[in-house]
Amino acid sequence: MYRVRQNSSAGVLLCLALALLLQGCKANRREAAAIKIRWAHDPENLDPLQLANQTAVDANYLLNCSLLQADLVTHQFAPVLAEALPTVQFLGDSLMRLHYSLRPEATWDNGRPVLATDVAFTLKLMFCPGLPNETPSSEYRFIREILLDPNNPRRFSLVCTGQAVEYVQASGDFFVLPEASLDPGGEMRRFSLADLQHRPATALPNAVLQALAQRYAAAAPGQTPERLPGCGPYRLVKWEKDRYLRFRRKPHWWADRVRPRPVLLEARPARLQYVIIPDAATASLALQRGDLDVFPQMPTREFTRLRTSPAARATLNFYATASYDVTTVGFNTRHAVLADALTRQALSRCLDAAGVLKANELRQGQRTVGLISPSDRLNYNDSLTPVPFDPAGAVRLLRRAGWQRAARPEAGWRRQLPQGGTQELRLVVRYRADEQLFATIALQFQAAAASIGVPVALLPTESGAFSMALRNGDFDVYVRSLRGNPFIFNFTSLLHSQSVGAGNATGFSTPESDRLIEAIAAANTQQRRAVLLRRFQALMQQQAPIVPLFFLSSHIAASKQLTGLHPSSIKPGFTATAMDWAAGPTTPQ
Amino acid sequence: MAVLTTFSFSWTQKWAFAWLGLLVAVAAVAPALPLPYLPTVPDLAHVAQAPLGPGRHWLGTDVQGRDVLSLLVFGTRTAVLLTLPAALLAACIGALAGGAAGFWGNRRRVETAYWVLAAGGAWWVLRLPAPWLGPLVAALAGARLLMSKRNRPTPGPRLPLDALVMGAATALDSIPRLVLVVAMAASAGGVSATGLLVLLTLTAWPTPARLVRAQMLRVRALPFAEAARAAGVPEWRIWLRHAMPHAIKPLESNFPLSLVSLLSLESTLSFLGVGLPPEIASWGRLMASFRQEPSAWWLLAFPTIMLVISILSLNALARWRRI
Amino acid sequence: MARLLFWRLLRTALAVWALASGVFLLSRHDVNTALQLAQPEAADLRTGAGTPAARQAQEWATRRRLGLDVPLFYVGRHVPAHAVEGQWHWNGTNNQYHQWLRGVAHGQFGTSFRTGEAVTARLGRALLFTVPLTGSAALLAAVLALWLAQRLAARPAWLGPVRGALVGVHALPLFVIALVLLLLFANPAVLAWFPAYGLDQSTDADLDVGSQLADYLWHLALPVAALTLSALPGLTLQLEASLAHELGSGYATTARAKGLAGRAVIRHHALRNALLPSLAQLAELLPALVAGAVVVEVAFALPGMGRLLAEAAAARDYPVLMGGVLLTGAARLLSLLLTDMLYFWVDPRIRWQS
Repeated sequence: MYRVRQNSSAGVLLCLALALLLQGCKANRREAAAIKIRWAHDPENLDPLQLANQTAVDANYLLNCSLLQADLVTHQFAPVLAEALPTVQFLGDSLMRLHYSLRPEATWDNGRPVLATDVAFTLKLMFCPGLPNETPSSEYRFIREILLDPNNPRRFSLVCTGQAVEYVQASGDFFVLPEASLDPGGEMRRFSLADLQHRPATALPNAVLQALAQRYAAAAPGQTPERLPGCGPYRLVKWEKDRYLRFRRKPHWWADRVRPRPVLLEARPARLQYVIIPDAATASLALQRGDLDVFPQMPTREFTRLRTSPAARATLNFYATASYDVTTVGFNTRHAVLADALTRQALSRCLDAAGVLKANELRQGQRTVGLISPSDRLNYNDSLTPVPFDPAGAVRLLRRAGWQRAARPEAGWRRQLPQGGTQELRLVVRYRADEQLFATIALQFQAAAASIGVPVALLPTESGAFSMALRNGDFDVYVRSLRGNPFIFNFTSLLHSQSVGAGNATGFSTPESDRLIEAIAAANTQQRRAVLLRRFQALMQQQAPIVPLFFLSSHIAASKQLTGLHPSSIKPGFTATAMDWAAGPTTPQ
Repeated sequence: MAVLTTFSFSWTQKWAFAWLGLLVAVAAVAPALPLPYLPTVPDLAHVAQAPLGPGRHWLGTDVQGRDVLSLLVFGTRTAVLLTLPAALLAACIGALAGGAAGFWGNRRRVETAYWVLAAGGAWWVLRLPAPWLGPLVAALAGARLLMSKRNRPTPGPRLPLDALVMGAATALDSIPRLVLVVAMAASAGGVSATGLLVLLTLTAWPTPARLVRAQMLRVRALPFAEAARAAGVPEWRIWLRHAMPHAIKPLESNFPLSLVSLLSLESTLSFLGVGLPPEIASWGRLMASFRQEPSAWWLLAFPTIMLVISILSLNALARWRRI
Repeated sequence: MARLLFWRLLRTALAVWALASGVFLLSRHDVNTALQLAQPEAADLRTGAGTPAARQAQEWATRRRLGLDVPLFYVGRHVPAHAVEGQWHWNGTNNQYHQWLRGVAHGQFGTSFRTGEAVTARLGRALLFTVPLTGSAALLAAVLALWLAQRLAARPAWLGPVRGALVGVHALPLFVIALVLLLLFANPAVLAWFPAYGLDQSTDADLDVGSQLADYLWHLALPVAALTLSALPGLTLQLEASLAHELGSGYATTARAKGLAGRAVIRHHALRNALLPSLAQLAELLPALVAGAVVVEVAFALPGMGRLLAEAAAARDYPVLMGGVLLTGAARLLSLLLTDMLYFWVDPRIRWQS
């Protein structure tokens, strides 16, 4: 009796499984014209004022428009809402006026035109208290006033403190929001931008500002972006947290009327679906099965493996580009042991960047002398050579720095301090535990340091705790990546004395480097800036608070059916809106 | 399984003993073994290489170019010196806490003086106004305790032992692992070998505690406990000598399994992005590195084989006591 | 009985409150990390980098937006600038704990630090995906374990190889099981029977209910299999061991001596006694039902509590985490209550505890 029952239940299970399988196959053969792109994690929050991650930025480029946007193909900023790049007018030696004019075609979804008042309103939102605008309020503080042209509602000029080259680009790199939807009464027009910028934190609450903050919170653009009319080419149709975001092309987008149409104003795919697949192995399987069409930022190993597999080559295209992400090792210069440049130089000779690059990146990636990418011909200092892997040289440098190796090999290195007492050279290396590459670098450093008698302890750290440790200076050496781009060369947050205790984790600062960083940030021509940047790279290599190892390459694998990816070094690495199915928008399968 | 076994070992048990002995021996002499590579030194020229490839990596290398053989050997050392003690410690703590909770429940009365002593201590620790009041009260209570040794103790309020133990276990289990580990690492300045031992013990004791408590609920209702009480045996003696040996029965089969969960906890930690120092090689983390390179079967196969044989050996030895 | 149950439930509620309060107060010690993670990433090069004063103002604004500018608790220790010892100080009801507790009493767990979304809604949505996944896996594992353990106890000859296989599966971490299943059954190079990720493949919502359900089950097959495989060996081995123990005891021998068949002895006599430790194990599965399975959710790209809580922990999103702790803690305490009742049912000699 037992056996019979068991057999029948097994039969039922088998039938069910078969039925499911058939169903599944049927479902699999359905048409799917949406282009599916992998994201590793959910954007969580699409608030245009609070863009916390790259996915949120990418999604916002579909929903909203900025005045200017980086063109991934030419590596230049190009106009989107603006008709052309702004014309620059220097005022004295510290002010600059940027004249913009908006495209006459530009409209919101509800048909209202995009006007200069919308830009002014957006800038004021960035400084309105009670909004989640801490990041833009620090980033756009250089725009001190917006002047509207009384004769033309589409013309305005921005007054900037400083004449830096990068301010010209940055001044147009924010998403413009509709005034009519958030402030229908135009009450914010009573405030000037400077009023809001200089409003003390202790000021009494203002009814108008509070009402605006409430309206903004009620619109919840972070969670329900569809409530505000955008001026971007796509509409967010469905957002299932941790699953997918579906975008649909607006049937009539204002830029369709623009002739001739630049690449940035293209919006070819009728439907885009960003699917969230956290695990890279799963995403790779989905890509091979055709359940996924674009896999940006593919891990190098998987990329290389697939590229050599004939089955994958038949269905997939592979693109590799240099990225602007540089892997660096930093020293905590606040610790007395690492306070002198010679010791830091010695230790940087224990880093085998070429070896790690060869092992982990499979020879894709570029060695570098500084924080500037070698592909940036103008600014990269090609007269320098990268720090060699040279433990013997490290020993010589350590001796010159006053260190003496104890008689017993395990005792390590010591040096006498001028004011008495001895120092011992032993280091703690911190790195984010979830990154394989950093672990390899740390292990390599540990092994090389051990070979010359410097004891090194490794502390892989959880990422939140890691950023706290960096901020509090609770490390000797760290390994991490810096995300760069070809437009911004402001190293204030990274190496200036002003940022010690915040972004400047190494605690490094000299009067000379501070002056140089300020000069670079204020340079008003590219040529002048290039000269300063080259000098800065040489100074940093000599001082070695941060040792840049290499720029990684970024990898994209995509379905062969897709055209117009425009693989690029700039994030997200490809142009989602310019893609198209090779054989028209029919079945990809 | 109703076969009565004597104390002579079957051949399985002999093999089990031999295997475990081998592991202990390897763990003891690991630093002295003539291994071609150290587990902390990456061989950047041979990364993720299959077994028997070039470069004397007999069992291959992992994604960081570390030799799998030496990782296995030093992983054995960690398993014997860290994971095993942690599992034992967790089983002991769990058995004692769970056994006490199950035996006395929430109805054990404690003398008032003990309560006052605890309150005084807490007063001092919290630095409440006039902290000297705390030790004073505690001293008074202590004196009272010493005096009352001679006369009959005065029973005070009930101690909710069961609620306390189960509450602590629940609290530990309900906090997400990641938060717990990060909090611990932050308070100890990084996860070290001792930190790992404490962490493993802390997260592992609730399971044996629940198992033993469950069994104890049954055991204390058995006739022999009543009989012992009637014979005037003190409560704690009944608990320790008579009830506990029966109550810890479920641990015999659970112990080898808990060892496995500890090893997989080590690997899950790296899955969650919480790092352990790479000096502490571990079988679990060797398996975890399979995730970075799913085509490298050797990263998974060798530690799994070691682990399965060890667990089966422990199981075989656990059965030796069973009648 | 009803009165006892009421008291037990009340005590459980009190325990949940104590647990949540403890975790709440402890978690706020780490609130600086949450603030730090809410600031722009230092690894990005950006145009504006404020002065220390501007940074402080920015941090204060964030603090204020997240509701962290008021004191933590009714009482607190204030350490004056020049003193070593702090003084206890009464903060009044305008404190974080009071606000949180009031919210919880009204069924509001606050809003997420990261997204500003209501925590209740977010947890509810995650539960909707998690419970079918973990629930079916737990049920399947329990039924299979019950069946397998009885078969094993009845036929010791199978024991060796099956136990070897079970131990082998148990030795694998869950993510390895998931990965191996994926590489075997969702890989076009081996067998592409099941989908690799997600809950549905169709982009259009015009499917009928039947095929939607089938599609859903088809997508859940591998994740449920992975979870079941990981839970099964522990349950089976424990139950088998207790069964063997019970079969060795006097009453089983008596039953056999009466001439009862081996299977009947197991089912009618030994099983009930052997179940006791396994009930504790089963009860441990219940909190896992609501806590989700982060590993499987990540591997198969499923939305759920596990991923939600893991990501919240990584970002120090304490309101979401607190919601998760409350939920799992409540589930665990309820499961304890449930097991105690089951013990009573299995073995009436166990006294019902007041």
